Amino acid sequence: MEQLTNLVISDRELAFISAALNKLMNDTNATSVMLIDKSGQVIATQGTGVRRNATSLGALLAGAFSSSRHIAELLGEKDFRTIFQQGVKENIFTTMVEEQWLLVIVFDKLTHIGLVKVLSKKAADEMGRILERVRADTTRTKSSVINVQFRSSVEDTIDLLFRD
Amino acid sequence: MALINIATHEIHCKIVYYGIGYCGKTTNLQYVFKSINPKARGEMLSIATETERTLFFDFLPLDLGTVHGFRTRFHLYTVPGQVLYERTRLAVLSGADGIVFVVDSQAEKFEENVQSIAELEVNMRRIGKDLGNFPFIMQWNKRDMPSALPVNVLERYLNRRRVPSFEAIACDGKGVFATLRAISKNVMAHL
Repeated sequence: MEQLTNLVISDRELAFISAALNKLMNDTNATSVMLIDKSGQVIATQGTGVRRNATSLGALLAGAFSSSRHIAELLGEKDFRTIFQQGVKENIFTTMVEEQWLLVIVFDKLTHIGLVKVLSKKAADEMGRILERVRADTTRTKSSVINVQFRSSVEDTIDLLFRD
Repeated sequence: MALINIATHEIHCKIVYYGIGYCGKTTNLQYVFKSINPKARGEMLSIATETERTLFFDFLPLDLGTVHGFRTRFHLYTVPGQVLYERTRLAVLSGADGIVFVVDSQAEKFEENVQSIAELEVNMRRIGKDLGNFPFIMQWNKRDMPSALPVNVLERYLNRRRVPSFEAIACDGKGVFATLRAISKNVMAHL
């Protein structure tokens, strides 16, 4: 399938995403949860643990996930849809939402991985439904943001900022 | 894949610097990092081997500030250039909105450059993108090297798609921002 060239997330859908992330964080007692695009861009975060480093974490987690999918391919495995990274204090569980987003749960030893697996699966299903709506809305909503004035302003800003 | 977050008023785009080992991809990012207004950039991440070759990718987030109410961000990535990291390059390309192909202009690197562009074409098809209809530019780097091929030769054999191209000496910063300006505008035009 041709990848979409962009994805537009409205206020309404972001509110649904934030509510679902918040519920997942509370129900699993996780320290933080994030939703990132597979390109590494952060869509939403909940919890304080990751906020400061969210941009770098998004790039690294998406890179690690993408890399693991290629490992699966080389092993003749259909796919690795989750990654579990285990530390002394903190653990990270990452799972795919459709083929587009990654749901990331950061948790400590007070939370059992089994609970994270089950509840993240439910949350990923819900995110999948939101993603479907976001895809349907994208074309309609985009023109309200990316208009002629925006394009012209962004070109001026690029000239101003990216100069020798 | 550009991400437009209306709720948080943010736009994110991903630009990937592609090319053979030692062609200067990381040098481009390092020059941007050290020369741009510090307020407009985040931390640069490099996942490199002990000998400082890129192992996975380099990552530099840039922030254009608020444009028409939207905070606009470009995330610059490089791929590892060495031949054996083909799968890693494919992983980094995922979700890219624009590509800069950095060419090492030296005659002895010509064949490697040709192979790398062919690989990029294949990789783009594998992620379902058509390079012919995609923000894509060339950078002729290392123009100061004694064995650098003439630009018209590079244009003829390496720029078959006739995309915009820029001469550069990335270690001195020459051409680095001209390249970045061109690809950024190209990406925004495709939004």
